[in-house]
Amino acid sequence: MATEHGTATAAALGNLEQAPLMIGKQDNTSLTQSLYQHVWAKPDKGWLAAFAIALAGAGALLLAITVTVARGIGMWGNNVPVGWAFDITNFVWWIGIGHAGTLISAILFLFQQKWRTAINRFAEAMTIFAVMCAGLFPLLHTGRPWFAYFMFPYPADTLMWPQFKSPLIWDVFAVSTYFTVSLLFWFLGLIPDLAGLRDGSKSKTARVIYGLLALGWRGSGRHWHNYKVAYLLLAGLSTPLVVSVHTIVSFDFAVSVLPGWHTTIFPPYFVAGAVFSGFAMVVTWMVPARHFLGLKHVITLRHLEAMNKIILATGLLVSYGYMMEHFIAWYSGNPFEWFVFKNRATGPYAPVYMLMLFCNVVTPNIFWFKKARTSIPIMFIASIMVNIGMWCERFVIIVTSLHRDFLPASWDLFRPTWVDWTLYIGTIGLFSTLFLLFLKFLPAVAVTELKEMNDETLHEEAHALGHDGPRVAPLAGA
Amino acid sequence: MTTTLLAGQHYVLAEFITGEALLDATVKMRQRGFADVDTHSPYPLHGGDEALGLPRSKVPRIALAGAMIGLFGGLGMMVYLNGINWALNVAGRPAISLPAFIPITFETTILVSALSIFFGLMAMMGLPQPYHPVFDLESFRSACNDGFWLSVNAGETHEPTTVVKELESLGAKSVSVVQEQVD
Repeated sequence: MATEHGTATAAALGNLEQAPLMIGKQDNTSLTQSLYQHVWAKPDKGWLAAFAIALAGAGALLLAITVTVARGIGMWGNNVPVGWAFDITNFVWWIGIGHAGTLISAILFLFQQKWRTAINRFAEAMTIFAVMCAGLFPLLHTGRPWFAYFMFPYPADTLMWPQFKSPLIWDVFAVSTYFTVSLLFWFLGLIPDLAGLRDGSKSKTARVIYGLLALGWRGSGRHWHNYKVAYLLLAGLSTPLVVSVHTIVSFDFAVSVLPGWHTTIFPPYFVAGAVFSGFAMVVTWMVPARHFLGLKHVITLRHLEAMNKIILATGLLVSYGYMMEHFIAWYSGNPFEWFVFKNRATGPYAPVYMLMLFCNVVTPNIFWFKKARTSIPIMFIASIMVNIGMWCERFVIIVTSLHRDFLPASWDLFRPTWVDWTLYIGTIGLFSTLFLLFLKFLPAVAVTELKEMNDETLHEEAHALGHDGPRVAPLAGA
Repeated sequence: MTTTLLAGQHYVLAEFITGEALLDATVKMRQRGFADVDTHSPYPLHGGDEALGLPRSKVPRIALAGAMIGLFGGLGMMVYLNGINWALNVAGRPAISLPAFIPITFETTILVSALSIFFGLMAMMGLPQPYHPVFDLESFRSACNDGFWLSVNAGETHEPTTVVKELESLGAKSVSVVQEQVD
């Protein structure tokens, strides 16, 4: 993580230097205090209120799942020809949201982007909870989720094996691998911070619980030695993994021969869309969380601005994807393909399509302006619009491609039922519940990594000033 | 369990003000013949591996071995199950269709490699470890937050008093001795 050239660059750039990644002079003690403080503080009324609402959402999810399992997926609005609707829309949407977490924690780690250090823990937690929500949908869509293990290769007495040439089975492997690796990566990063919590705990219960979770970590140099390498390698593995997961999700569509789905642009376009919506979700949560958890000194406007830049860049990629998709549909000369795209813009689902264009193509362009990139209200609203837009995109891709198929006699409209809506809103409730619990009981930022970064920064500053200061400067005057 | 183990190892713990002072002391202690030393810090220290004289980490080899098992295991599984054990004809594709097997092969490679990294690391670190004598010293608990500690396993070769004196001469803020509890 250390940048050998950091000192030279800092000196050469001089007054071009960006805003600092940490506000105020910090040392290990002050960081320990300020970053763990939200775990030790009693939950405030805001958290309790948010938690109550989230829990109600999770309760609604339980109800919708019960209805679905007890009475079957006939309770949903799916029909023939719209066999995939809200379920797969939500699945793709949630998986996409998860992608920002891995991108921030792994790809930006490999690129040595220092600003990712304050937000990676947060985004990784988001990944795990989003993948949990995503996984529910295909599972329920199987109709008999208790037979989901049929999808894994085990020696069954039917003598049959999974059909490994099917993109749907690829998806099973991709999503379960993604979940497992993300969880390992997250937990590995958490171990030193859990030890910090264990050793800072005031009560016996907290010490026992965090002690169990910390696995006996004692900051040993012999452990750090292997730990650093393992963390780097897991980041290296997560990087191609995150790209592969949404690629494989897009194969669910692209490998079929349906107009509107059978497109080679899908894999990169899905990955860009995933990063786009994922970063938007991080901003949506980060803005209130940094305020309520007292983390403004480590998650600064510079972090938020950097994320908004990524939203702008990926938003433009997504816009380019739309453009090419439409161009190829026209240029292919295939009347069915061209019909699907005209139908998206003028058919019964045109309002959803227009909303998608507005949210995904128009909204991110506001981030060309520095004022917008650094304005909390603007970025908060824009991030929510992007989330809505990306949900609409998945709906448009899935439902409009299905509802008018080759045979006009079989055309039908998809109308979501209350169970569809409750399942969708319920997963938002489940996600929020888990996320709020995470924000309360675990360090929301990677404390260890921040301390290391702070140490390096202090060292570099001492170097830049032309004298060898102590590695951890005694900050009596600060 | 033999009774000779009942003695319990002595650990001498010394706190230093900065990470650099800690690494300095680590090198000096090793030069003075104390091999079983360890540093404890809230984050990895720059130059910590060199100070402890650690060899290159074996984690990359474990990762590669896991990746190879995942790669050939995943591919072999699909070739055997869909191609040999029950040759499945789907839309006229060949029973052993390598392009269609690539996505899952990729995923199993990553999965097994990641699992071996994680569990291999745990095995190398000897974690989870519910008890370690260093935790008997309450002030040692700063090691995971803002303290820089050196631990020396005094074992049977050295009298803890000499180690204590050595550490004090190296400028430790505080020096304590803990003994492993064996029952």
